[in-house]
Amino acid sequence: MKHLIELEINGRVYDVAVSPRDLLADVLRKKLGLTGTKKGCGAGDCGACTVLVDDKPILSCITLAITCNGKKITTVEGLALPNGELNPLQADFVNKGAIQCGFCTPGMIMSAAGLLKRNAKPSMYDIKHEMSGNICRCTGFKRIIMAIEAAAETGVK
Amino acid sequence: MYPKPFGYYAPQTPVEAYELVGRLGGKAKILAGGTDLVILMKDKIISPENVIDITNIEEFQGIKYEPGKGMEIGATTKNAEVQFSEVVKQKYPALAYAAGEIGSSQVRHMGTIGGNSCNASPSAETPTPLVAYGASVVVSSATGEREMPVEEFIQGVRQIDLKEGEILTRIKLPEPSPKLAAKYAYMGARDANEIDSVNMAVALELKDDKKTVQSVKLVMGSVFIKPLISKAVPALLTGQEFSDDLVEQAAAAAQNEAKPISDVRASAEYRREIVGVLARRLLKEAFAAAQEVK
Repeated sequence: MKHLIELEINGRVYDVAVSPRDLLADVLRKKLGLTGTKKGCGAGDCGACTVLVDDKPILSCITLAITCNGKKITTVEGLALPNGELNPLQADFVNKGAIQCGFCTPGMIMSAAGLLKRNAKPSMYDIKHEMSGNICRCTGFKRIIMAIEAAAETGVK
Repeated sequence: MYPKPFGYYAPQTPVEAYELVGRLGGKAKILAGGTDLVILMKDKIISPENVIDITNIEEFQGIKYEPGKGMEIGATTKNAEVQFSEVVKQKYPALAYAAGEIGSSQVRHMGTIGGNSCNASPSAETPTPLVAYGASVVVSSATGEREMPVEEFIQGVRQIDLKEGEILTRIKLPEPSPKLAAKYAYMGARDANEIDSVNMAVALELKDDKKTVQSVKLVMGSVFIKPLISKAVPALLTGQEFSDDLVEQAAAAAQNEAKPISDVRASAEYRREIVGVLARRLLKEAFAAAQEVK
């Protein structure tokens, strides 16, 4: 049986018909066309599917979409500034060379966005500890950390 | 991979939840954080007919502390909330630390402290310090409540003392003695997003001379079917002046008590070795911390 749920995604309210077993990552990608969110391991290990639910980083590939009814979701598509430019965190990822193949990038950026919302001035330990759920198979971690440090310095929310 | 179809219920109040859990009984699984349940359902290791999502029930959430009386943590409180809570960090630092070492940031923002015990994995992080602090769980149903120590609630691998119609609703921690120092440590294949091959918590109190052990509790995780409380370590240390020699004896005693198995994460031999390493480290750390207590 389908259930009608309401999701506020990137500031826009969507009414979506879902089956209880539908995963949030699939609803975002297939039903709503928000393909910025990636599906990697499917088991909660790689972090590619990270989105913010009520400003907290969660794994959308092991989250049942129906459990997000009425909640506020932010995906990587929701970060850009109103004028279409990259927000400072995204820009720092570009400027610091923190992107190689790019597959992990949306998850990395959403985890970093969640971290900076909770802790605007994270220490190096905080960054490494709270980003450890995101894996970059190009192994570009050093520059990812540099990008987050730079974003924290300029005060990104 | 997708779970098989199932019926979904999201009760908003405890009464609704007890009614549903009572009515659906063994045909339903309770969803708290889902970091274990949804993965098991995706892999079709389990395929419940119904899922009861208890995360919307406010009464099952949050951290309450009353000076002198202790703390109550709602079962669906996220592990990240326990990790970052100032009062947990202050009163039960070993628990806050253990909660912060579960999986990854995302897993901690999804998974709950109640789920970590209900999942009853021997390698779970939070049951070990909970047992060290003498915590108990409260299971509730339409007909009432039962309270029992965490080490009795967890009965074995994926086995808990939860009868049909019952929900784990909160975890209670007694007020820690002002002299108590507790420490937690773990060993895994890497530092993050791993599953512990061994974890351990030590809670220690010194007498006023700051040398003699008044009480000590050492709890081991992932070396038995459930959290294992050492009997030999308190027998060796209580009433004795703390010394490196005693620590060596205590570590050896803990190694003898551990009943590890070999699996994909570590061999029994390695686990037993690590029990000694962690016991030595934690006893010394707890002793040093207990000496600092004013």
